[in-house]
Amino acid sequence: MRTTPGAHLERSGKPPLPPATAWMAVAVGGLLGTEARYGLGLVFPEDGGGLPWTTLAINIAGSLLLGLLTSFWAERAAAPSWLQAGLGPGLLGSFTTFSAVVIAIDQLAAAGSHHVWMAYLGLSLAAGLAAAVAGLVLGHVLGRRSAGLAGGQS
Amino acid sequence: MTALAALLVGVFGMAGALARFAADTLFSRAAASGTARTAWPWSTLLVNVVGSFIIGLACSVTAQNSLAEPWSTSVATGLAGGLTTFSSWTVATVRLWAERRPVGAVVNLAANLSLGLGAAALGLLLFR
Repeated sequence: MRTTPGAHLERSGKPPLPPATAWMAVAVGGLLGTEARYGLGLVFPEDGGGLPWTTLAINIAGSLLLGLLTSFWAERAAAPSWLQAGLGPGLLGSFTTFSAVVIAIDQLAAAGSHHVWMAYLGLSLAAGLAAAVAGLVLGHVLGRRSAGLAGGQS
Repeated sequence: MTALAALLVGVFGMAGALARFAADTLFSRAAASGTARTAWPWSTLLVNVVGSFIIGLACSVTAQNSLAEPWSTSVATGLAGGLTTFSSWTVATVRLWAERRPVGAVVNLAANLSLGLGAAALGLLLFR
């Protein structure tokens, strides 16, 4: 069984340890995803008291892409495990971040910026979940289509 | 200094990602006796709460001038940012919902948020 992001939700039997190539891919993906998030933060710096738009955009984009890959791979099961681990938990797992969201909410609340933290929390949840849904649906459609093009193999 | 900072942030992010992948692996093997219907993203909850505590701690220690750059950004943006994940959280929530497990989906949202916000606040307060 291949290591799909979220594969623990549909696993049957004890999964084998991921191969060394998967760990290496997670390391490379983790490095690149973190650098991309850090770099975007430098290019689009967040104003301390305002809504953290850069982190919000990163988390929405990452949710869309992970949803897309997850259902595309579930449909096709075509990617090797190292690629799935490197792109899912590695690249997108590190590109998106949860800790920056909660620390910003805590600090905005402590500063009395209640409208800002509520807007940030609401937007992160609504747009993040909507992006995940859109990605999952899109990956399903693309997986079906590419399976059809490949001669209908499942 | 900025080149060193960028390198350190990436290396700390790599460590965070590997720790998260190790947690995923450990939890999926430990829960292997359960069925797909009972699996729940425990490992994402764990890394998100631990990472939220780390970023809170990094912010309070930095505010005390006890943690200088580039270490401050490396721990907050690199380690805590790489360890925690938003995309797995949202995608797993939608998948739980799609599997007709609305309680599991809502609890996944509420548990990560409440424990994450609490852990970050605790980290912030610790060295105040």
